[in-house]
Amino acid sequence: MAFKIASSPHVTHNLHTSTVMQRVILCLLPGIVLQCAFFGWGTLIQVLLAIIVALSCEAMIMRLRQRNIKASLSDNSAMLTAILIGVAIPPLAPWWMIVMGAAFAIIIVKHLYGGLGHNLFNPAMAAYVLLLVSFPLQMTTWIAPSSVALNSPSVIDSLQIIFNIGAHIDINQFRLGIDGTTMATPLDTLKTDLSMGLTSTESMTKTIFDGSTGVGWFWVNLAYLAGGLVLLKLKAIRWHISTGVLLGLFVASSIGFLLSPDTQASPVLHLFSGATMLAAFFIATDPVTAATSPRGRIIFGALIGVLVYIIRTKGGYPDAFAFAVLLANLCAPFIDYYVRPRAYGHSAG
Amino acid sequence: MLTLLDQLDKGTLWRSPGGIHPPEVKSLSNTTPIGQLPLASTFLVPVPQVGENCTLIVKVGDKVLKGAALTQGTSIWHLPVHAPTSGTIVAIEPRVSNHASALPVNTCVIKADGNDTWCELAKSELENLSNPQMIDKIRSAGIAGMGGAAFPSHIKLNPVSEIDVVIINGVECEPYISADDRLMREYSHDILAGIGIIHRLLTPKRIIIAIEDNKPEAINAMQTAVMQSGLPAGCIRVTVIPTKYPSGGEKQLIQIITGREVPSGAIPAKLGIVVHNVGTAFAIYQAVAQGKPLIERVVTVTGKNVGKAGNYWIPIGTPVEHVLATTEFTPEPEQKVIIGGPMMGHALANIQVPILKGTNCILVPSSQEIGTTPEEKACIRCGECAIACPALLLPQQLFWHAKAGEYDKAASFNLKDCIECGCCSYVCPSDIPLVEYYRIAKSALKHSADEKQQAERAKQRFDARLMRLEEEKIARETKAKEAAERRQATMTGTDKNAVAEAMARIAAKKAAAAQPSNAAPSIDTVETTTSTATPKNQAVAAAIARAKAKKAAQANTDDTDLSHAVNVEANHAPTATSVVTTQEAPLTQKEKVAAAVARAKAKKAAQQLDNTPLETSETSEAASAAQPTADTDKKAKVAAAVARAKAKKAAQQAQANTGDDLSQTVTPDLQSTSGAQINASTDVEAATDIDDAETIKKAKVAAAVARAKAKKAALMATAPDLESAVKSEPAVKSESVEHVQTKVNTPPIENTLESGVAKAETLSSSAAPTTNPIETAPLSSEELKKARIAATIAKAKAKKAALAHEATTSSDSSVGND
Amino acid sequence: MSGILIAVILLTLLALVFGIILGFAALKFKVEGNPIVEDLEAILPQTQCGQCGYPGCRPYAEAIANGEKINKCPPGGTATMEKLASLMGVDPEPLNAEAQSQVKKVAYIREDECIGCTKCIQACPVDAIIGAGKLMHTVLTTDCTGCDLCVEPCPVDCIDMIPVTQNIKNWDWRLNAIPVTMIQDGTAQDATAKNTMAPKAQLEEDKRC
Repeated sequence: MAFKIASSPHVTHNLHTSTVMQRVILCLLPGIVLQCAFFGWGTLIQVLLAIIVALSCEAMIMRLRQRNIKASLSDNSAMLTAILIGVAIPPLAPWWMIVMGAAFAIIIVKHLYGGLGHNLFNPAMAAYVLLLVSFPLQMTTWIAPSSVALNSPSVIDSLQIIFNIGAHIDINQFRLGIDGTTMATPLDTLKTDLSMGLTSTESMTKTIFDGSTGVGWFWVNLAYLAGGLVLLKLKAIRWHISTGVLLGLFVASSIGFLLSPDTQASPVLHLFSGATMLAAFFIATDPVTAATSPRGRIIFGALIGVLVYIIRTKGGYPDAFAFAVLLANLCAPFIDYYVRPRAYGHSAG
Repeated sequence: MLTLLDQLDKGTLWRSPGGIHPPEVKSLSNTTPIGQLPLASTFLVPVPQVGENCTLIVKVGDKVLKGAALTQGTSIWHLPVHAPTSGTIVAIEPRVSNHASALPVNTCVIKADGNDTWCELAKSELENLSNPQMIDKIRSAGIAGMGGAAFPSHIKLNPVSEIDVVIINGVECEPYISADDRLMREYSHDILAGIGIIHRLLTPKRIIIAIEDNKPEAINAMQTAVMQSGLPAGCIRVTVIPTKYPSGGEKQLIQIITGREVPSGAIPAKLGIVVHNVGTAFAIYQAVAQGKPLIERVVTVTGKNVGKAGNYWIPIGTPVEHVLATTEFTPEPEQKVIIGGPMMGHALANIQVPILKGTNCILVPSSQEIGTTPEEKACIRCGECAIACPALLLPQQLFWHAKAGEYDKAASFNLKDCIECGCCSYVCPSDIPLVEYYRIAKSALKHSADEKQQAERAKQRFDARLMRLEEEKIARETKAKEAAERRQATMTGTDKNAVAEAMARIAAKKAAAAQPSNAAPSIDTVETTTSTATPKNQAVAAAIARAKAKKAAQANTDDTDLSHAVNVEANHAPTATSVVTTQEAPLTQKEKVAAAVARAKAKKAAQQLDNTPLETSETSEAASAAQPTADTDKKAKVAAAVARAKAKKAAQQAQANTGDDLSQTVTPDLQSTSGAQINASTDVEAATDIDDAETIKKAKVAAAVARAKAKKAALMATAPDLESAVKSEPAVKSESVEHVQTKVNTPPIENTLESGVAKAETLSSSAAPTTNPIETAPLSSEELKKARIAATIAKAKAKKAALAHEATTSSDSSVGND
Repeated sequence: MSGILIAVILLTLLALVFGIILGFAALKFKVEGNPIVEDLEAILPQTQCGQCGYPGCRPYAEAIANGEKINKCPPGGTATMEKLASLMGVDPEPLNAEAQSQVKKVAYIREDECIGCTKCIQACPVDAIIGAGKLMHTVLTTDCTGCDLCVEPCPVDCIDMIPVTQNIKNWDWRLNAIPVTMIQDGTAQDATAKNTMAPKAQLEEDKRC
């Protein structure tokens, strides 16, 4: 009589990749809900569209690679990538952009590098950067938060704009605030204002700001922060990268703000506008493209934070997380090479 | 700043990195006292268990008493193995091992007599023993670490360096296992007595008994025992450590208790620390005070699929099957039987394996407890493994490199420091069997290191050989020169030729040495040296001719043109023989030619697989052609050739039938073998009336033939019939040899043959021993040489046939064994 | 027009300067001997079997350094060939000898058949056979490199090359190679464990992609 054999250990705990991804997706939900509340249904439509495209691309590629389609779809990684692209791009961006972005993320960035676990760059961010450099106008056309907007798009409006069908509705009418001025994102507004010679305090008086942070953006960021904290609690992510990002950004922006308060945004604005919290807890923490050791991850996160600050203040783009994450991705192997933990029984160094 | 000892006294604990908290499931087995199981009927005792070499001091059929030593050895690493019960040794053979590989190891199989009678035990008072005596007792009791690693305890108790701290490991961090827990609850005083012995031997400054906080009863029991023990106060304490896997690992425990790390590649004794398991302490007490060898241990039998989960005293060597059978084991499909805990234990493929000294648990989980391993998915580099790793390694980097086969890179990430605790696999969200990858990588690394070492040694030996050859050459040259000079000084005219001849011989020999593998030039050499015309030359020549023929045969094995092959062969063989035998008597030459022809025929026959009847006629032709030209001396050879051909024919028939029933194949073959044997013996009988030397030779030929036959029979006989063939073999041999012996009159030869018979009887594996004594016999007549040649020819032939047979029957495996 | 002329002149000058520098460097840093031979020899398996056509591993290493093919070492197998290829910067080539089984073998003399001719002793490149004339010979298995050279000279064919058997000490942890019978089948049919998590299978799969 003989029995089944397997290598030890014979027990594992039940936190599987798909569960981790699922938890990340669930923790994204509050942020998405708030984003919808402030910026209309566009975000939701983009997210759903991205999911459909990403999953079909994943299935197609898996078929071409002759792998198990079901297993790869059920690990939820493609869905997570799609959701991240969906929330990152402007809510009313035309449909072909999100299709192109999701397809690029899955096919080129993920699978051409070897699929899950092998990709060098964060697929969502690579796709975002592709869209940003290819279609800068559409990618920076955010609408005004509903609380301060002249008009808010309905579901039908959003669908019509995104799919470019029916009566031609001008997207620009949704970009107007209650004072009738065109509204960009807070960071964009600030950048433009600063370049026009205004001080950051003067800029802060605009309707899009509520004194210290952007209207709506603050709450969206707060929702993502809450989601991120839940993730930490669930141990779906570890604290190293997020802390690194936030600390890096905070320290860098504080120094900048202290040195030159007139030409710099406050650390609070940096932390609670744009994609900061989303990136810190959901994007930069993508383990595949991050450094691996705990210490390396703190360095990796801090690098992102500092890079974000530098690009936001000195670069040509208002927000910088996509670039910062990609640059840090490039550095990850390098960090891993130099930051190796001291193994048990070995002398330091 | 507190010293280490102060901190030990305070019970300060340090944090060990990593670790996990798997479900403990200890209550399944730790609620009942340690029980006894009925004695098994058969015990499997692997020898040696610890240490590489040992001498068995028992043999099959011996009666042994419980506790009697089965092995002895001289190496310091050697630990004797003891009989777990009284009974009879019924076999000593390779049996499946209790090891993850399930490879067979040498095992003494003891059939229990059911009485369980102890051998005489040497009880002694502790006070009367000196330290070396104690260590000797511990060693001869065969005590090895009971925690699982089975490291010889006497070595740890006799360290070269000073020991400051002894840690008694009662942590038992693996889930499910509760053997040490129960032992501490029930035998705390005995354990303390064992610790007292350790204290006496090592004289440490502190002894720390470390127990995880999930065993409150054990902690209480041990604390009480410590209080009541006679050990100096303040020297020994029980330290409770938090429950975490793998705190029970030696290195981890040292870190938790003392805050120090064992340097990579070093042993804890280097830090002045020694760790002993509580089970070991108990066994030490038993061995020293009561003289009991380590022949039983507490084993946790647990899992949902055993009815009577609990801890049992189980004699070492008890088959796992018996343990499970007596504990109401109900197997289910895809049942796993795990030896050790779920984290580090190995699953058994076969449960007819023994309990060993390091076996602390048998776990038979239901599929709800421990299901099938899910499929491995892609690593997402989440880094959980690095957080869980107690050795602070980067498991995922190790995994990448191990998976890619870049083992040297994996080694650069300190793969060798991996303790295979399984934490990384446990936390892996992608269900990657990381530990398995590491083990494969580790064994590959070890293998390549061994290979490198061997290559290095081979190179050294090669260089040394080249140097030696060079030196020998120079030495020879100088010697020759000196001799030549000396001779030149004292030379007369007539000696010149002799010197020249000698010089020529030396030159020829050198040429031969330069090209030892090339047959063609060495024939020339032989030709030049045939001036001496000794029978030895003939033997050499015959061997060469044979080698040539063999080479030709090999060259043509791929060739479909068989006649061509035979032609080449035929051409080679006669020319070679004629070259050699130019100075022989015509009669001998004829005989050789005839032999060569017969050989060629036989070989041809061997190559023609499908043409059996034709080939027979050819062979008989050869035989009949050879017969008229030869005298009685030759008859034996012819008979041998005939016998050979017959045997070959049988082999071919076997080949032709391999596709069919095996039993069919074997039966005619055996028949023909016996027939041939009769032939051979009748030949010998016919030849008896000539003269002694001839008789001997013929007998030898017959012996060779019989040997070849027997070998073939052995080869033909596949697994079921192998035994019978082997049995018949010695019978055939001894028969023919005895037959020879009766006809022989010359005393020296008789002696030789007698020794041959004796050898055949003792070895009883093949007939060949008869050749060796004959060779060394003082009788170096021409006939004897020829006989030997014939014998070797027969042997070579038989082998070739066997090889051909092997090529067609893939099932045969006995070639190397005959 | 003059712009083009200037560019041409400039480039020519540049080429000249670099040419001179290179030529100078070639003379200045000329390497005597060939240090790569040592590296090559370190890769070769040191069986000294001569199957490459050279009398030992070092001569073959020297020959490779001088442009000999890298695929002439059957004992080293494909692994050695690949290492040589990467060291020499040439494309891997399949072994030109017939595909040798990778199983390590050692020579074994059937001692009762040995006639004591010492031929194998002379053939052994690493002196791994001991014995004397007219006396039985035997192989030191730990030193035998499995080169096969002793098999041919034996006049009585009593040398076998037997594969090194696996034991617990050198087991390679390939769990999926252990024959396992599943108990639900009831019958004891031998089948290699179909282990879902067999890393080797996974490895092969990855190589395919």
